Amino acid sequence: MAVIFGKGNLLGMATALELKALVKQFPTARVVDGISLDIPKGCFYSLLGPSGCGKTTILRMIAGFSEPDEGDIILNGRRLNGLRPYERPVTTVFQSYALFPHLTAYENVAFGLRRRGETNFDKKVRDSLAMVGLAEKAERFPANLSGGEKQRTALARALVLEPELLLLDEPLSALDPALRKRVRLELKQIQQRIGITFVFISHDQEEALSLSDRIAVMNKGKIEQIGTPREIYLQPATRFVAGFLGAVNWIGPVGVRPEWTRIGRTAPGDVDSVAATVETAVFLGDSVHVHAKTADGSVITAQVHDSAVDYEHGEQVRLWWDKSDELRVSQ
Amino acid sequence: MKHLRAMFLAPSVFFTVVLFLIPLTIIVSYSLRTRGVYGGVVDPWTIENYARLFDPLYGMIMVRSVFMSLAATALCLLAGFPTALFIVRNEKHKSLLLNLIMLPFWTSFLVRTYAWMFLLRDTGLINSALIAMGIIKEPLPLLYNETAVIVGLVYGYLPFAVLPIFSNLERLDKALLEAAADLGAKPWETMFHVVLPLCAPGLRAAGVLVFIPCLGAYLTPDLLGGGKSIMIGNLIQNQFTTARDWPFGSAISLALMAGVMVLLIVLIRRDGEEAL
Repeated sequence: MAVIFGKGNLLGMATALELKALVKQFPTARVVDGISLDIPKGCFYSLLGPSGCGKTTILRMIAGFSEPDEGDIILNGRRLNGLRPYERPVTTVFQSYALFPHLTAYENVAFGLRRRGETNFDKKVRDSLAMVGLAEKAERFPANLSGGEKQRTALARALVLEPELLLLDEPLSALDPALRKRVRLELKQIQQRIGITFVFISHDQEEALSLSDRIAVMNKGKIEQIGTPREIYLQPATRFVAGFLGAVNWIGPVGVRPEWTRIGRTAPGDVDSVAATVETAVFLGDSVHVHAKTADGSVITAQVHDSAVDYEHGEQVRLWWDKSDELRVSQ
Repeated sequence: MKHLRAMFLAPSVFFTVVLFLIPLTIIVSYSLRTRGVYGGVVDPWTIENYARLFDPLYGMIMVRSVFMSLAATALCLLAGFPTALFIVRNEKHKSLLLNLIMLPFWTSFLVRTYAWMFLLRDTGLINSALIAMGIIKEPLPLLYNETAVIVGLVYGYLPFAVLPIFSNLERLDKALLEAAADLGAKPWETMFHVVLPLCAPGLRAAGVLVFIPCLGAYLTPDLLGGGKSIMIGNLIQNQFTTARDWPFGSAISLALMAGVMVLLIVLIRRDGEEAL
């Protein structure tokens, strides 16, 4: 059962992209199984889900690389179905960046403007490269750009056309973790500055949570939940959403995230607590993950934000949490 | 370890020395000597044979060979590119189609060239058919001219053009084509601004692979050209047979080799060794 939070538009803005009962059937599976979405104008919207959940197929249908078997794709009131990719006012930042290796960063950015028959594009190209901090590297070929620079060139190339919608296909996944966090921040800042609607595809929950105004969590071709990052993290509608967005300890139907799970050798007198035996305590620098087994054999993890905390294997502990922190999911 | 390595290297060293270096040395020495009356070579040593390469009579043949080879190469590229593109895009029958391209190699080149004679001669298939249909009255002169030779060369070396272009196109990242379309490029613009430039190394390799054997072709011009010395290959053959001038034949051969080497060096400088 999908539960939709915050129905209607974010900040009362008009709808940019509307997907209506989209279906895509592959020989072996229905990869997109009746997806309906309203994406508000100027929104940073993420489609989040594991690989094979259908998110990339949706992106390809919006871009025009693939046609839906059923349903409509409507962008700012105009039906896009049947239009060729080059006829759609939509651009894409590809996972592999897909920069033209025979063209310089400058010419990559100018590519779309040249196709439009524009001749006075020098300022646009330079401004676009400057926006992503690559003004100095305009004459470099992709082979001589770092991963982050390639990613930013791809972004500049897609944005210079001032699309009605920008699609981003896991654009950060090819970057190393440290760079990914920095680029993530830049991406968010650029989106806020230019106000173009972004549709971002990701399987990384941290990435989606940190970037998005709104997230649609997908699983097996369907939407599990739509909401703001806080909504889907703090009030997951389904067990799948709860588990996909972060670790969860399941105590029967009730879920508690490790960071809200308290642990101690004794519990405060006035709270309900669970007895458990410590399996292992994993030191992570800024926190310690304590895995403890309860009487019924389930393992509960408590994340303790105190580097000094340590437990021995076999130690008897109590686990407890605030009732208000419990995740109540439909299934 | 060292013995083992030497053992494995020995056959190739043997073949290179015996089958390549020794004959080459003989050719070089022939080219620097004087012709014997009944063929063969005699003393004294001379560089006269190389000087004769600049005789306008032979220069004409060389220039014509180059132009005919260039024409055949251009036609091979023009026909080979769409063919390779078609095969790459035909996911289902890719290997079948590739094998069909290779199929002619399963029969003798001589037999296949004779087949072209049967097609092109005055009483051949094409002329008979055109006459039977009443389109022409007299047979067209299709055989024994330069056009026939170029047709034969294109036919013979087209697979050499298709294969490198195919492997280049096959390596082309499909995301680039999607990116081009995404940025507003119509299919022909993607072809012109993305596919063709990125296929340049394949086209250059194909060009060289076709041009080199065309330049040295001997059988095709001999059979389809009507026995005249219209290309370098025939000229060389004539020196060793009817003209009985082995030293000059050797000199032309070496000049041809030198020309080809220069071409290959230029290509490798440009595209690296994978180009071949």
